[in-house]
Amino acid sequence: MNKITLQQTLPEVFADRNEVCSEVWHQTVEWKKEGIYLVEAQSGTGKSSLCSYIYGYRDDYQGIIGFDGENIRHNTVKQWVGLRRNSLSMMFQDLRLFTELTVWENIWLKNQLTGYQSKKQIEEWLGQLEIADKKKVLVSKISFGQQQRVALLRALCQPFDFIFLDEPVSHLDKGNAKKMAEILVSEVKHQGAGVVVTSIGSRLDLPYTKIFRL
Amino acid sequence: MRVVWKLLRQHMNLFQLGGFFLANLLGMVIILLSIQFYQDILPVFTSPDSFIKKDFLILTKRVSTVGSLLGSNTTFSPSEIDELKEQAFVKNIGAFRPSDYHVAAAVGMQGTGIQMATEMFFESVPDEYVDVDSKRWTYTEGDIMIPIILPRNYLNLYNFGFAQSRSLPKISEGLLSMVRLEIRLRGNGRDETFEGRIVGFSNRLNTILVPETFMNWANARFASNRRNLPSRLIVEVHNPADERIVKFLKEKGYEIEGDQLDAGKTTWFLKLVVGIVLAIGLVICILSFYILMLSIYLILQKNTEKLENLLLIGYSPSQVAWPYQMLTLFLNGMVLLLALAVVVWVRSLYQEIFAPLFPLSEKKGVFFVASMGIILFLSVSLLNIVAIRHKIKAIWKHKE
Repeated sequence: MNKITLQQTLPEVFADRNEVCSEVWHQTVEWKKEGIYLVEAQSGTGKSSLCSYIYGYRDDYQGIIGFDGENIRHNTVKQWVGLRRNSLSMMFQDLRLFTELTVWENIWLKNQLTGYQSKKQIEEWLGQLEIADKKKVLVSKISFGQQQRVALLRALCQPFDFIFLDEPVSHLDKGNAKKMAEILVSEVKHQGAGVVVTSIGSRLDLPYTKIFRL
Repeated sequence: MRVVWKLLRQHMNLFQLGGFFLANLLGMVIILLSIQFYQDILPVFTSPDSFIKKDFLILTKRVSTVGSLLGSNTTFSPSEIDELKEQAFVKNIGAFRPSDYHVAAAVGMQGTGIQMATEMFFESVPDEYVDVDSKRWTYTEGDIMIPIILPRNYLNLYNFGFAQSRSLPKISEGLLSMVRLEIRLRGNGRDETFEGRIVGFSNRLNTILVPETFMNWANARFASNRRNLPSRLIVEVHNPADERIVKFLKEKGYEIEGDQLDAGKTTWFLKLVVGIVLAIGLVICILSFYILMLSIYLILQKNTEKLENLLLIGYSPSQVAWPYQMLTLFLNGMVLLLALAVVVWVRSLYQEIFAPLFPLSEKKGVFFVASMGIILFLSVSLLNIVAIRHKIKAIWKHKE
């Protein structure tokens, strides 16, 4: 997949508003592979909705979202499963980690599905993000900031054309955010993929191609 | 899949699954055992008289002293037969045809010097009521050999009455079947000799039966004046326990010969009881199926968030459904195996009790019941698997 386009897209809940002032909603937006985009927003402007529309788990929107010009509204279950394994990666705002499993099991759950990263690579990243010692600790026992790092690593354990990060650094200090950015950039370059980051304040420090105000 | 299993195992309640397991086991055992029992026990009621088809009655008119003196007729007229045919409980009617000539039979026992001879009679019923191998139950005109079915009473009378008191050797059925009877037929100015061969013994029919083809031929040949009306009817009924039968017979003054009605009733009640037991087993099975479905739905419900997250990180619905489907298959499979084991065990227990009373046929075995069990297992498992798939699909669609 090379590009994602939004044509006159608008969440249905906004439909009865008189005026929508946004650089994404009700506009034509195009995100290309190898581009790095930031969507800045205040809370309640539909940032997570945007992610869920593109990731295929909600479809309460108007307008058209297209992957390579193909409307995604009527994608089959099989197509979505394929996209989520091979083309689209998502780091959710609420992380969606499994609190009953350990850090390592959470990451491995994804990697055993795709078989994409080596054990060594994941361990190296855990070291860089200073959570190597938490490998065998249950996710419920670590802080939200640490959980965010686990969620990022899980999102990297698959091939992708686009990676979406929904407020990835909301609970991280500058130092850890910088390390996360480094890992992300190197992996994105390696895969030649596009990045879409959302933020409501502290933004991940990346060389953005374009910034949108939602 | 190990990690997935570890994740989805959460919230599984051993108590619920155990409850399902026991309920399903109980239902399965009841169903399979009642089928097996029915199969094993039915021959006891039906097999002793394999020469005559079941569910039939023999009707006669009452012979009363006054009637005899007044010379009233004990034969059935065509209009009476037609009336009987119209009754709802009647499936089919056949007439007994008596011999209108003299029959004398003699049997000699070599070595004993005893020659027994007796005057007797023949009767015939339509061949469809006689369940003897059709090769042995045929007669072609001019044959010397006549196949005969004797009432078992006759043999008993000889063995336990006559032979006992005279210290004569007892005769087994097999031995008697090898004996050639000398049959002399007289009438219409003819006197001919035939050979009789006994092909079977009947508990139910108190008459000496020959094939209908022979009877027709012999009546035409030896009878001087033809007497066409039958005095006994063989009636096939739908359900021997039908109360309308008793009512009708009473009204008409007909009588039923022998205990066919009782045997028929017993079989019918056996069927009824087994049917009720089967129904109870089925209800328990259906209930246990619901318990399993509810347990699994509950587990799925409690795990909804996890399942949703698994679907979101790229697991397909069938991958997520797989562990639950395997669990139900495993549980159902264990239930089937255990139920079959219980059936085999209980069967050996009741066979021990019945063996001295009735000869149970060993031939059938548990093959039929095992295949019934497998069919049940497959259908229940299929339903479970479909229901789980359905639920996972619903979770996929509820995407929030």
